Amino acid sequence: MQINIESESSQPPKHGLILLQVLMALLFVVMVFRLWHLQILQGEHNAQRANANRWREQQIYANRGLVLDARGVILAANRPSYAVALTSEDCPDIPSTLAKVSQWTGEPMSKLERLYRQSREEGLPKFSPLILAHDIKFEQVARLESQVMNWPGLSIIAQQRRFYPQGDIFAHVLGYVALANAREVESYAGLYRGDSVGKQGIELKLENSLRGVKGRVVQEVDALGRPLARDSKAPPVGGRDVRLSLDADLQLFAMRAMAGNAGSIVVMDPDTGRILALTTSPSYDNNLFTGRLSAKDWGRLRDDERHPLQNRAIQSVYPPGSIWKLVMAAMFMREGIGRDETVTCTGEFRLGNRVFRCWRAGGHGRVNMLRSLVESCDVYYYQMADRLGIDKLTEFAAAAGFGRLTGIDLPSEKPGVVPGREWKRRMRGEAWQRGETINASIGQGYTLTTPVQMAVYVSSLLNGGRLLKPLLLEEENPVERGRVPSTEAERIFLLKAMREVVENRQGTARRLKMDDAVIGAKTGTAQVVALGDTRLRTEDMLYQHRDHAWVATWGMKGDKRYVVVVMLEHGGGGGASAAPVAAAVYAYLFKNKKPESVPWRNVAASGYITQSDPAEARGLDEIIRASKQWEPFVGPDHRSAESARRDKDDAGS
Amino acid sequence: MTQGVERRNLVSANWVLVLLTLVLAAIGLLNLYSASVVRLGEGTSVAAYFQKQCLWMIIGVFCMFFCMFLDYRRLISSAEPMLVLSVLLLLLLLFFGPDMGGVKRWIPLGPVNFQPSEAVKISVMLLGAKLLAKGKDPLTWREFFPILSVGFVPAVLVLKQPDLGTAIIIMFILGGMMLYRGLKAQIIKVGVLVLILSPLAVDKLIMPRLLDYQRARITGFLSPEKAPAKAVYQSDQSRIAIGSGKIWGKGYLEGTQSKLRFIPARHTDFALAVFGEEWGFTGCVALMTLFCLFLLSIYTTIRETKDRFGGMLGAGIFFYFFWQILINVGMVLGLMPVVGIPLPFISYGGSSAVVNFCMVGLLLNISMRRFVFRAA
Repeated sequence: MQINIESESSQPPKHGLILLQVLMALLFVVMVFRLWHLQILQGEHNAQRANANRWREQQIYANRGLVLDARGVILAANRPSYAVALTSEDCPDIPSTLAKVSQWTGEPMSKLERLYRQSREEGLPKFSPLILAHDIKFEQVARLESQVMNWPGLSIIAQQRRFYPQGDIFAHVLGYVALANAREVESYAGLYRGDSVGKQGIELKLENSLRGVKGRVVQEVDALGRPLARDSKAPPVGGRDVRLSLDADLQLFAMRAMAGNAGSIVVMDPDTGRILALTTSPSYDNNLFTGRLSAKDWGRLRDDERHPLQNRAIQSVYPPGSIWKLVMAAMFMREGIGRDETVTCTGEFRLGNRVFRCWRAGGHGRVNMLRSLVESCDVYYYQMADRLGIDKLTEFAAAAGFGRLTGIDLPSEKPGVVPGREWKRRMRGEAWQRGETINASIGQGYTLTTPVQMAVYVSSLLNGGRLLKPLLLEEENPVERGRVPSTEAERIFLLKAMREVVENRQGTARRLKMDDAVIGAKTGTAQVVALGDTRLRTEDMLYQHRDHAWVATWGMKGDKRYVVVVMLEHGGGGGASAAPVAAAVYAYLFKNKKPESVPWRNVAASGYITQSDPAEARGLDEIIRASKQWEPFVGPDHRSAESARRDKDDAGS
Repeated sequence: MTQGVERRNLVSANWVLVLLTLVLAAIGLLNLYSASVVRLGEGTSVAAYFQKQCLWMIIGVFCMFFCMFLDYRRLISSAEPMLVLSVLLLLLLLFFGPDMGGVKRWIPLGPVNFQPSEAVKISVMLLGAKLLAKGKDPLTWREFFPILSVGFVPAVLVLKQPDLGTAIIIMFILGGMMLYRGLKAQIIKVGVLVLILSPLAVDKLIMPRLLDYQRARITGFLSPEKAPAKAVYQSDQSRIAIGSGKIWGKGYLEGTQSKLRFIPARHTDFALAVFGEEWGFTGCVALMTLFCLFLLSIYTTIRETKDRFGGMLGAGIFFYFFWQILINVGMVLGLMPVVGIPLPFISYGGSSAVVNFCMVGLLLNISMRRFVFRAA
């Protein structure tokens, strides 16, 4: 068909044509091979990546369980808290955005810059919001919401924040939640960085049931992260509410009765082991820890020489002083010493060349067991203990629940010390000295107990000898952890003696006497330093040299029975300073004396938690509701301007 | 001198090429519609690209026929003035052109923007073809440099706009034409040497002169782990889109990467990614086959034309399409760095569509007159 009318010279270049053929073939082969590689070989992988692109899994926080007192007063709640967050991917100008946030919130610029730098170093994904300012005041939120729209990358996010309406009243029992550290993230399933976790107290002990299970939602998003469709995989399961056995009013009343003294009060139901009040003072506001605890606050709490973070009821061990005589007398009876057997107290007891003195310089004269308890004669115990020896003492005290944990549902309980030969060899590598038995007999020397151990022991005298686990949870059934090795007659004798301490004219706890209630007590004044022969008056001593004041009591009225143990650190004489505190507690228990101005009762009445802080000016109902049904706050769609800009870019390129 | 269009010419025109062009344009429109559909909330939104492109395609077809019927040999004498004019336009643009988002590529002409770099491409191709058509021995150094400079000056001006893609295309077209014509072995040897040394030259000479985003794209391609996230993002998302199409594709209008806007520039440079996601391996191989048939059809005309200038111009047109397809597909498939070069007939863009049709028209013109003896 080709008509060759051309000269030979106008033939197309031969090599050139081959070049074009080769190029076409190469184009086809290379591209098809690459397509095969991407779509067939890696097809599944790429399909998964495409899905991972558009489905974003989000966690929905479960509501942390509420903590209530026995009558339903909320002790730990959740409230919404608003924070300003920066998503660096969406932010075109980080420095001026940070400056704006600093201007709005008053957070120093240097701090925001540091936060941002740290988040970059820690590898926070650029699409994840970084929280710049926590807990913005409520009235600021509305104002900021309209402002952040003009600042791409900024958003206001709502978080759930733990809130303790009573603050320092229940701080040690409740503990607090705070951001989980790396170790905690590892040890709890379902806990991630940035989550809060119980750090102390009930919050820590019951972490697993309070936390609940997070919900999962998968959300289809477009390239700008704008949500399109939502698919709930698993709804969040709220944490279990916890009802404590504590009585909030009593707790407040007891805290106030401490009147600023360092120490602890334990109020226990002797028949069940339920704790009705467990105070420690000085205390701290546990709300400080739920946010970002400032270095200043932390330093103040840590360096306070009165140790407000210490839960004295279970973590501080003290020499029991004369209340130990209740344990010793029980031991003597068990070892066959008759209650009528007498000792003549001359005011001192000699052992070799050492002299052990009775607190009453002139001595008590002839003293039997009852009198030794009522008037707290030391020499009686010196002599009897010396006769029986340390091994009997050690064995009995251990059987009575001392030197070991009571099992209360709070972290970091201390067991205290019941000294003995074995203990001393282990701890000091030395043999036991006879003189140490003398000291141990009156609760001095190495003997160390916690207030809650003492409450458990006194309760056992009333409840048939059972050593009960101190219960903090309302629904928990009594747990018997041992039995005091005393017969009923022996226990009744001790109760009678305690009653005499209150009723008798020579008794050391006469201040506890109450007309229409039966109250028994034993006071204790534990020496902190040996001061030699002369006894100074409490006021004349250095605070840290002053004696610890104890009183261990029980009270009955009608069918109500309570055990109250008061311990005042460096409080001076037990009868003089601790007994009035116990008396105040009994006034609440038996005379219906109520604390004045209960702040959380005002909550229900006025609809406000505190009048002073308008940010928290939210009704109790609202707090409960917010705590119960939590919906993540969806901020204004600040990305729309940005996305419009990107769309324009797409069209223009 | 044959001026008019005779029956004989129409019969010998490359109608297969017209068919392939129209099929590709139809596929492009179909795909563009899909690329402009975006899911928003519960519903979808359709951008107006589709209608605009339809209009451009129609204009393009008219231009194609216009280019077809005007005897291309008339262009020989106007090659030099055309190049001078377009270079002047480029200079004007550089000094007085409106700044459109940091680039000076367009001259606004009423409702449309005219892109002088497209005119430059054609001028370079024409003058190149004219110069290469003289003589028949492999090019010597003496011929090589003047021809090279025909493309070099406009390419530098285009680079200043900045438009790296078009500058590359201009030089590549000219280079392709010279290779087709044949070079002295010595030039080829030096060329190979230059190619071997070019990574060094790129690193020391070209890279420091590139703009930040251009450099980021290239480093992003060479070492994705070190490059900024945004530079890698485009090519990454494009590969995910194509790959996730697997054998059969997700179905028309069903691509998630495109509908949710993960594919960047999905109307324009990355239109193939949209296509690949929805039509899968089968669709892509079919499209590649069409493109290769399209090139083959051009090749047939080149082989059969008896006119030397026509042959050279045909080779220029071949390379015009070949490089764009190679670079764009290579870029979308992650074989090459991201350079703003559209895929002929598939990518959105008015100027590019019109020029593509003109090029096809020019080739039809050559094919029509391939047996006609050129009376001197």
